[in-house]
Amino acid sequence: MENPEKSLLHLTQIEEQAQEILSDREDIVALDKQRNHNREAIRALHKQDKTSAWIAVGPLLVKMPIKKVSDTLNKDQVRLDVEVNRLRSDLKVKVNKLRDLEHASPVPGLMLNPMSQADMNAMGQVLGR
Amino acid sequence: MASIAAAKVQEVREITRIERIGAHSHIRGLGLDDSLEPRNVSQGMVGQLTARRAAGVVLEMIKEGKIAGRAILLAGQPGTGKTAIAMGMAQALGQDTPFTSMAGSEIYSLEMGKTEALTQAIRKSIGVRIKEETEIIEGEVVEVQVDRPATGVGTKVGKLTLKTTEMETIYDLGGKMIECIMKEKVQAGDVITIDKATGKISKLGRSFTRARDYDATGPQTRFVQCPEGELQKRKEVVHTVSLHEVDVINSRTHGFLALFSGDTGEIKAEVREQINAKVAEWREEGKAEIVPGVLFIDEVHMLDIECFSFLNRALENEMAPVVIMATNRGITRIRGTNYMSPHGIPIDLLDRMNIVATKPYEEKELKEILKIRCEEEDCEMSDDALTVLTRIAGETSLRYAIQLITTSGLVSRKRKSNEIQMEDIKRVYSLFLDENRSMQFLKEYQDEFMFNDIADAGDAMDVADG
Repeated sequence: MENPEKSLLHLTQIEEQAQEILSDREDIVALDKQRNHNREAIRALHKQDKTSAWIAVGPLLVKMPIKKVSDTLNKDQVRLDVEVNRLRSDLKVKVNKLRDLEHASPVPGLMLNPMSQADMNAMGQVLGR
Repeated sequence: MASIAAAKVQEVREITRIERIGAHSHIRGLGLDDSLEPRNVSQGMVGQLTARRAAGVVLEMIKEGKIAGRAILLAGQPGTGKTAIAMGMAQALGQDTPFTSMAGSEIYSLEMGKTEALTQAIRKSIGVRIKEETEIIEGEVVEVQVDRPATGVGTKVGKLTLKTTEMETIYDLGGKMIECIMKEKVQAGDVITIDKATGKISKLGRSFTRARDYDATGPQTRFVQCPEGELQKRKEVVHTVSLHEVDVINSRTHGFLALFSGDTGEIKAEVREQINAKVAEWREEGKAEIVPGVLFIDEVHMLDIECFSFLNRALENEMAPVVIMATNRGITRIRGTNYMSPHGIPIDLLDRMNIVATKPYEEKELKEILKIRCEEEDCEMSDDALTVLTRIAGETSLRYAIQLITTSGLVSRKRKSNEIQMEDIKRVYSLFLDENRSMQFLKEYQDEFMFNDIADAGDAMDVADG
């Protein structure tokens, strides 16, 4: 630590990177929460036989036809899925970057593409399943 | 998940798996510090500083995947810690890098050819890293609700409420899932995972918050924390399998017999080629990584000229492991030929190797080793006994002295003492001969033994050899 400014900069970088990872994690949790709420709503809409439903848009309660409501919800669901997946992929890069800053070796196999289901079934035998 | 993988501490490799001789069970690593400088006594290693440092450098390169298809030769007199260094490297490599240990004479078998045995050993030392990815729902069960139709037949419907520390949600269940839940006997308070692709439910245990629900719980009940974060998780597991394991599974024609016999004998070349092709394909798709491991061949002078030329060729393969060999021979005949060569290894192969020499231990180091072995073998020894034993080790051999530890331990126990005293050492020293005394004895009383014209026979053999 002969150069305090340099080490301070280094520590700041690490903290920033770590903070980013943590906030991403929280984002994922929040998005998943939203996703589960949406899913519950879609199920609830399916079950009832009315033609319109009440939907809360911010502070407003609006009555809308069921078709339109479920369309919006389904679209939202797709958007959430995409968002969660994007965050998860970015997270891997960020974790490796953080480990690089901390002078640790990258997590082995983190950037590998996953095996397909069929391949995994075959390899499962090797792993004793 | 990424952060979990990152936090996972590298586990210490199981000792039993690589153990060939109990003599090295006290070795935990190479005993180097972060800058690869060897500590004098650490992790069961004593002395041999330059050899250990060299091994440490090799180890770093292996870890970074920088060297593959290289060979290292550990050369030194008997009892100078060659096998210990190899064991230390195996321990330090960690779980993720394959390490195969074999003795040179293991390749001679009636069941398979020499090259087949070598190929299998080489393929055992090459790992393939793959990743499995599953989408799971993980949470603590808050409530299970199943409605049966009044008639008893017809479809059941149900609801499952799951929660994590952050959220709670309700899932509607179909008939199939309800059956699964019934079968697994899932009830409120269990922590479960549901595989999204297959719908398989597995119980992880009961939540800690529900630990006081019942007074009597079976001993098999496992308590776990309520899961954190999101309900729908992506779980990524990285596996490392050796090429040989894949070979074995795929060369089985019909199933289970191979499970019991352990190995399958010879594996067809076509099977290997197909597997190589598949792995290459996965590598191109970014689905697999090759992890070059370490193949350790002890007593390498026992290999013959065919094996050496096979190794020479095999090392050139792009998927070759790092081969570490150990030998205690000086200039001697290459097995299978009449040519002499250093270490009994052909010059062309020797040329490819990095040679690390081990030197005989000094007296201080011998004492440290004996002390470590005493601890390992659960024997307490008084200081003067240890001094005597060290002197014995210096005059005879380290192995002989180590063997005296347990035997003198038994003798001391016989006289109801917990500590080995000098008298115990003296007693076992008189009971068990070392190599020199045994030879001395034979020379003196040779005439009284049977077939005592052995010296003549030896001369005759020398003539035949020459």
